[in-house]
Amino acid sequence: MNIAVCVCQVPDTASVIGFVDGAIDLTRVNDVMNPYDEYALEEAVSLKERFEGSIVTVFSVAAVSAKEMLRKALAMGADRAVLVSNIVVSDSFQTAQVLCQAISAFYQQALPDLVFCGKHSTDFQNGQVPPMLAEMLGIPSVTGITAFHASFESIQVEREIEGGLEYIDINYPALLSADKGLNMPRKTSIRAVIEARKKTIDLFYATLCENASVAMISIEPLERKKICKFMHSEKELIRHLNEEYSFF
Amino acid sequence: MNKFLVFLEQREGIVKKTSIDTWNRVQDLAALYGDSAVFGILAGPVDLQQLCASLSGKGVIYHASNEAFRLYNPGHYARLVAETLKLEACTTIFFADTVLSRDLAPKLSLHLKASLLSGCTIFDVSKEVCVRCVRPVYSGSTIASFVAERSIRIYTILSSAKLFHSISEDYPTIIPLETCRLTGIEELFPVVRRMVMYSGRQDVTEASIIVAGGRGMGGSEGFVILEQLAQLLGGAVGASRQAVDGGWRPHFEQIGQTGKTVAPALYLACGISGTPQHLAGLGSGSTVVAAINSDRYAPIFDVADYGIVGDVHLVLPKLLDALHEFLKRK
Repeated sequence: MNIAVCVCQVPDTASVIGFVDGAIDLTRVNDVMNPYDEYALEEAVSLKERFEGSIVTVFSVAAVSAKEMLRKALAMGADRAVLVSNIVVSDSFQTAQVLCQAISAFYQQALPDLVFCGKHSTDFQNGQVPPMLAEMLGIPSVTGITAFHASFESIQVEREIEGGLEYIDINYPALLSADKGLNMPRKTSIRAVIEARKKTIDLFYATLCENASVAMISIEPLERKKICKFMHSEKELIRHLNEEYSFF
Repeated sequence: MNKFLVFLEQREGIVKKTSIDTWNRVQDLAALYGDSAVFGILAGPVDLQQLCASLSGKGVIYHASNEAFRLYNPGHYARLVAETLKLEACTTIFFADTVLSRDLAPKLSLHLKASLLSGCTIFDVSKEVCVRCVRPVYSGSTIASFVAERSIRIYTILSSAKLFHSISEDYPTIIPLETCRLTGIEELFPVVRRMVMYSGRQDVTEASIIVAGGRGMGGSEGFVILEQLAQLLGGAVGASRQAVDGGWRPHFEQIGQTGKTVAPALYLACGISGTPQHLAGLGSGSTVVAAINSDRYAPIFDVADYGIVGDVHLVLPKLLDALHEFLKRK
């Protein structure tokens, strides 16, 4: 079984997003693999362990510095990695297009049996790339899965919706995006990290065919600070919430 | 003339509150612009009485009551929305920001060659007839505005605590879509075999009051009182990552960077320290935050409107009693 996994980098949770002269400053940011992509990768690797002869290939559209993250993906159990860093993409649509090019070229116009992605990246939280990529590849997709059961013939997944759960059937080839709860990503052993150095990271040169469909026109710090009124009793809190907002 | 199309999402025959909020906000947008028309598209059999009682404003809603639309099918839904868009020559589609729209809208944007702006919290329409989408990014530490570059636009809108809507005397006309052609290539679509709704539970993304607990609750038994509070207030229980990773609460209650983004009217944070990752889940600045924490210097108090410094295990029972008494007297 051929399994493709799309991964991206995001600032880690401790990173400070700064501003210098009104412009965003990402120089103090430490990039890590998007947490949702770790669930995607874990699912692909554990599937490979169940279906003998499967090959897991990781795809990423990112700067050359993302090689470090791809090494981690290889240490987690991926077999190969493809990095596209010759162009800078500026929206989800372009990202999906470039991933589609890379995947199509890698599998020589055939399709992988499965494509796994994270539900969304934690920085911009659009979650648009997975369904867009599926459309471009011409395969069905389910976003935000929390359970995955596969046989050679078919796939059953579960997805949490607001206040409920959907049980979904889908056929191969398919794209699935992973939500938290799908699995527990494995820790990499030192031995796996050393082994990963022997695996290859291919560079793919993509071309941008269409303009971005969305533009970011401003970005600024979000001031959340409020002046907290401290209450001396529970009754006082209730009185305030009721008199000022009539919540109850 | 601006022509707006609003997708109305139903689950088990009930149109979602977040969709109704979206409809109302688009009504206000149309009034603000003038020379605008609002259309709706509703997929699946619904309780029309419930819908008529909760919707107001001018407009036409197309209703495909076909049984095939009861459960979500991305292929059928995308086709239905695209056909309605063409029928009325609409240029803008609005969805409530839900699991369904996050799945459907990206696919639809490719079919229609449209720009897609997801998770908008604020519309900025001050300058020209171009809706800007404003939303927090990078774990809520920054706020960005986005514009569409294409002539057809799709927006998914985060439900807001603030209701701008002025109640209208008008009511939309509902037009049934008798036969809606469904495509035959079923195997290309994922099929929802079964849907199970948790009974008596309000989702955090739909609740106007959230009673959330964190590490300070001490364990799953600590949340019992939060459930009682939520029930009394007609709200939902939320949880921090620590409470979910500790196995005290299910993941669907998690609020924050690796959970849900919410915008309730009131957020009661109990035993939550207020890490940036947690605050990333509070999508709207208009939410009133009340915090209870034993640490006077916990960061949650920096973003709270009201605070009580104290042990949640002592404060919450008193708060529950005081609320009972207050509501009884009311």
